[in-house]
Amino acid sequence: MFVSDCRREFYDLIVTQRVLLLVASDVDALCACKILQALFQCDHVQYTLVPVSGWQELETAFLEHKDQIKLLVKQDDDLDVPAYDDIFRDEEDEEEDSENESDGSEPSEKRRRFEEEVIERTMKRRQRREWEARRREILFDYEQYEYHGTSSAMVMFDLAWIMSKDLNDMLWWAIVGLTDQWVQDKITQMKYVTDIGILQRHVSRHNHRNEDEENSLSIDCMRIAFEYDLRLALYQHWSLYESLCNTSYTSASFKLWSVQGQKRLQEFLADMGLPLKQVKQKFNSMDMSLKENLREMIEESANKFGMKDLRVQTFSIHFGFKNKFSASDIVYATTSLMENVEKEGPETTNFIKALDSLSRGNLDKLHQGLDLAKKQLRAIQQTVASCICTNLVISQGPFLYCSLMEGTPDVKLFSKPVSLCLLSKYLLKSFVCSTKNKRCKLLPLVMAAPMDVEQGTVIMVGIPPETESSDKKNFFGRAFEKAAESTNSRTLHNHFEMSIIELKTEDRSKFLDALIALLS
Amino acid sequence: MEPAEVEFLAEKELVTIAAQFSLDRIHLIGGDLGPFNPGLPVEVPVWLAINLKQRQKCRLIPPEWMDVGKLEEIRDQERKEDTFTPMPSPYYMELTKLLLNYASDNIPRADEIRTLVKDTWDTRMAKLRLSADSFVRQQEVHAKVDNLTLMEINTTRTFLTQALDHMYKLRTNLQPGESSHSQDF
Repeated sequence: MFVSDCRREFYDLIVTQRVLLLVASDVDALCACKILQALFQCDHVQYTLVPVSGWQELETAFLEHKDQIKLLVKQDDDLDVPAYDDIFRDEEDEEEDSENESDGSEPSEKRRRFEEEVIERTMKRRQRREWEARRREILFDYEQYEYHGTSSAMVMFDLAWIMSKDLNDMLWWAIVGLTDQWVQDKITQMKYVTDIGILQRHVSRHNHRNEDEENSLSIDCMRIAFEYDLRLALYQHWSLYESLCNTSYTSASFKLWSVQGQKRLQEFLADMGLPLKQVKQKFNSMDMSLKENLREMIEESANKFGMKDLRVQTFSIHFGFKNKFSASDIVYATTSLMENVEKEGPETTNFIKALDSLSRGNLDKLHQGLDLAKKQLRAIQQTVASCICTNLVISQGPFLYCSLMEGTPDVKLFSKPVSLCLLSKYLLKSFVCSTKNKRCKLLPLVMAAPMDVEQGTVIMVGIPPETESSDKKNFFGRAFEKAAESTNSRTLHNHFEMSIIELKTEDRSKFLDALIALLS
Repeated sequence: MEPAEVEFLAEKELVTIAAQFSLDRIHLIGGDLGPFNPGLPVEVPVWLAINLKQRQKCRLIPPEWMDVGKLEEIRDQERKEDTFTPMPSPYYMELTKLLLNYASDNIPRADEIRTLVKDTWDTRMAKLRLSADSFVRQQEVHAKVDNLTLMEINTTRTFLTQALDHMYKLRTNLQPGESSHSQDF
């Protein structure tokens, strides 16, 4: 259902009903869910929350609750939806044979009318055929590429703002939703900067009281601040050295998998005048004198070493005396909580834990998430380093291919879709920096990892090529479908993102051959 | 009595809010609550004010004694006197806690207010402990203390009554003869 006015056509309708909320396993969807939950609590709306991770679960949940009154689906939305009239056509009344009893009319007139009618009918049929051909083309274009529109958390925040019920908390969740899209490389840089601009207006509206010394807020109140911060993952909760090693941008630019890369890193630190001992300590324990101008110093040195985008516009949250988090920290923590492989209880505990960690009261869950995120980032870096050093990334012609073996350390972490996507993006970035083959730099990447050893399945992910001005459109969804059809492979296109599929290990080679044939 | 029960009683106190919705007079068991108009101040009990604030339907206006200057005066006065001075509200501690927990963004200089109220509370508790101590020691039979609030009384209630009970039993057992019939207590 396509809705243009959020408030009237959507919220006002459901506020009097009991609502079923189906939420995808994505940090953006979680943030949108939190905003919606807060709105529902204000208005005393009864709702049921069901996490879904794919189309099948969506169907089962829908069938279970079929007699519920309203249905709400949370997902990424696509822009550029083609106009309604181009796709759907109200069934016009088919030309019925006009049974005009024209008694006594002359036969020649009747025949003339009959001929005209035939001509009319053929014209209509031709128009209809043209219309259908155009429709097929539009649908093909629409469904061929997969890409992401505005963050759903931001859409929900807009709804809250229109109803004047927006709070600082909701604004923070919208920020986290947008940052999740950026961390997972789902939107272009231009869109990210535009959305940051939109959010910044809201931030200054809510947080302008912090400058006024006389009536400043209690320290326990939450404050959001705009920051032109470093792009290093989790650096305020880790040591600067670890963060430099485990962020894909710096690790790929320095080529840290080689010995020369390590030396370059040491040179970089020496250039800034940071002693190694300080840099390997926890960030909070570093000398204040070093931390003061850290951002500017790092930016200067980074420019010398060829890293022009080390700083990025983002927001950070501050409450109480101890707690300061940047938006990307929260994204990493929540993602790793949601995809935690250690099974503790029923399927949905991870989802609920991740959802809870987004509230300010559950700091212990957030810290647990941060620890898991550090482990995940380290595992990703080590896997990337080993893949590049052992030349596991091979060019198959129209795309690059890499497959993780079963015995690889931490391979269990990568049986989850979002972690595998992160790994593939980092791997592609590092590969592009390491290879000298100009043609290979423009190829997309297909990545496979073992998913379930007993059932013999493999999870496969396709990501678009890494270029400066890519529009992040992903065509692997359709390509996977077609390849699976043509080879009768046993695949499961369950995930909401069509470019992530599950495949039986035995069918892997023929599936790949079909894919190569399809894309060349 | 539990502290939670005292807080429950404190929630009946009236506080001023500026509503953000409109509603006619509502008739509740405890009394009528005046018509609500957006932006206009109206007096409601604390339990309703907190609920509306959580649902983002009102803005809380701090009571007039919840002001840094006034609280500083009260604290200094309390420190000077040996006996208990009258407090601005019989439920000052509970109201401070509730309002600062749920509506600290509507109260200017909330951190200082919290510190001042805590200082006053500490001084009064110290005086209470001193007076309870001297009461038990000197084996008085009755005492009169003014200006104590229910929360403060509640903190010493169990201890004081049981201690005095014990003292009484010990006293009566010391006197030989008709007053004690049993050796066990």
